[in-house]
Amino acid sequence: MRYTDFTPYDLLLLAKGLGVTIGLFLATSLIGLVIGVLWGVIRYYRVPFLTPLITFISEILKNSPVLVQLFLVFFGFPAFFHLNVTPVQAAVVTLSANTAAFIYVIAVAAIESVGRDQIEAARVFGLTRWQVLRHVIAPQAGAFSVGPLTALLVNQLQVTSLISVIGVMDLAKIGANLNLRTLKPFIVWAVVGLLYYLTAKLVAAMGERFEKRLRAHSEFRGL
Amino acid sequence: MRLDLTILTPYLGFLGQGALLTAVICVLSLAGAVILGMLVAIARTSATPWVRRLAFAYVDLFRNIPFIVQLFFFYYGLPEIGLYIDAITTGVVALSIAGGAYASDAIRSGILAIDNGILEAAEVSGLSKRVTFTRIVLPIALRTSVRPLGSVLINMILTSSILSTITVNELTGQAKIVASDTFRPFEVYAVLLIVYAALTWLVSIGIGRLHHRLNRDLMAEVT
Repeated sequence: MRYTDFTPYDLLLLAKGLGVTIGLFLATSLIGLVIGVLWGVIRYYRVPFLTPLITFISEILKNSPVLVQLFLVFFGFPAFFHLNVTPVQAAVVTLSANTAAFIYVIAVAAIESVGRDQIEAARVFGLTRWQVLRHVIAPQAGAFSVGPLTALLVNQLQVTSLISVIGVMDLAKIGANLNLRTLKPFIVWAVVGLLYYLTAKLVAAMGERFEKRLRAHSEFRGL
Repeated sequence: MRLDLTILTPYLGFLGQGALLTAVICVLSLAGAVILGMLVAIARTSATPWVRRLAFAYVDLFRNIPFIVQLFFFYYGLPEIGLYIDAITTGVVALSIAGGAYASDAIRSGILAIDNGILEAAEVSGLSKRVTFTRIVLPIALRTSVRPLGSVLINMILTSSILSTITVNELTGQAKIVASDTFRPFEVYAVLLIVYAALTWLVSIGIGRLHHRLNRDLMAEVT
C-alpha cells in the first residue's frame, strides 16, 4: 500500500502544524513584547552603556535576515558554546529576540509620542520618573502602539514559517512533508497558504477590534 | 570556544560570489517588483471597481502569505504545469511578485499624494489620460516614493536569503557551504549577520541620498 494520496489524517497533521505555528507565534510575541518594552524602559531611564548597546543589538536584529539569525542560534551556538539546542528552543530564542527588536522601536516611538509638556507638568507636580512612566506615559503610549503592533504581529506570524527550515514541525514543515509525499504542490501549498492567510487576517481583525475599543472614548457619539 | 575569524579568509572570494548573486537577484527582482507594482498601483487607483478589487486581492494575498510558502508554491508547482525554469529564475519571479505587492502600496500612496490641481492643469492643457499618467503622474509618484521603495529593496535583500532553501547559492547559501566546510558555523553566521546589516545600512544611506537628489526642487519649499 502506497501512501501517495491525501488521507483524512492529513487534516489532523495540518491542524497540528497550525497549532505549533500559532503556539510559537503567541509565545515568542509575548516574550518579545516583554523584552522589547523592557528595552524601551531602559532607554527611557537613559541607562549609560546599556542604551547604546540595546540600540545596536536591535539594529542588527532588524537589518539581518531571520534565516541567518536562526542558523546562528541553531548551528552556531551549539558549536561555539557547546550547548544542546533543540529546533524549538532555537526558534523561540530567535523569534523572541527578533520580535523584541521591532517592539523596541515601537516602544521608543510610543514613549516619544507623549508630549514633553505633559511629562514636565507631571514632574513639577512631584511625580517620580517611575510614576510619570506608569501613570502618564504608559496609558497613552499603549494606545498609540496598538496599530503598529498589529502590523508587526501580522508580519511576525509570517516570519514564523522560517523555523520550518531548521526542522520545527510547524505549518510550513507539514506542508513540505505533505508535498513530498503526495507530489501535489499546487493543492498542498495553496491550502497551507490559505491557512496562513486566514490566521493573519484573524490577528489583524483582533488588533483592529482592540484599537477600536481603545479609541471608542474619543469617537463622535452623535448628539 | 575561541572566536577565530581568520579561518574565513580563504573563503572570502567564495562568499563574494554569493554576495554578487544576491545583488543580481535583488536588482532584477526590484525591477520586476517596481514594474509589477506600477501596474498594480494603476489598477488600484482605477475608476473601475472590479479592477480595483482584483488588484487589492493580489496585494492582500501576497502580503499575508509567508514568502517561503509562496516560493515553494512556485518552485514545486511550476514544473507540475510543464514550466521548467531554474531555481534562480524561480526565486527572482517569486521575489518580484511578493515585492510587487509591497511596491504597489508605495507607488499607490505616491499617486494618491499628487495634488489634484496638477491633474486639472494637465486636463486643461488638453493632455490625454494616457499621457497625463505616463508623463505627469508616474514621474511624480515614483519620485516621491523612492524612500518606501527603498525599504522594499532592503526587505528584498533580507528576504532573498530564503532563496537558499531552494538551492540558490546566494550569500546565505554560500555561507551554509562554508559553515559545513569549516565546522565553524558560529563565526560564519555571526559575520554573515554583520555583513547583511552593513549591506542594508549602506543601501539605506544610498536611498536617502537618491531621495534627496530626486526631490531637491521640492526640498527648497520646505526649508
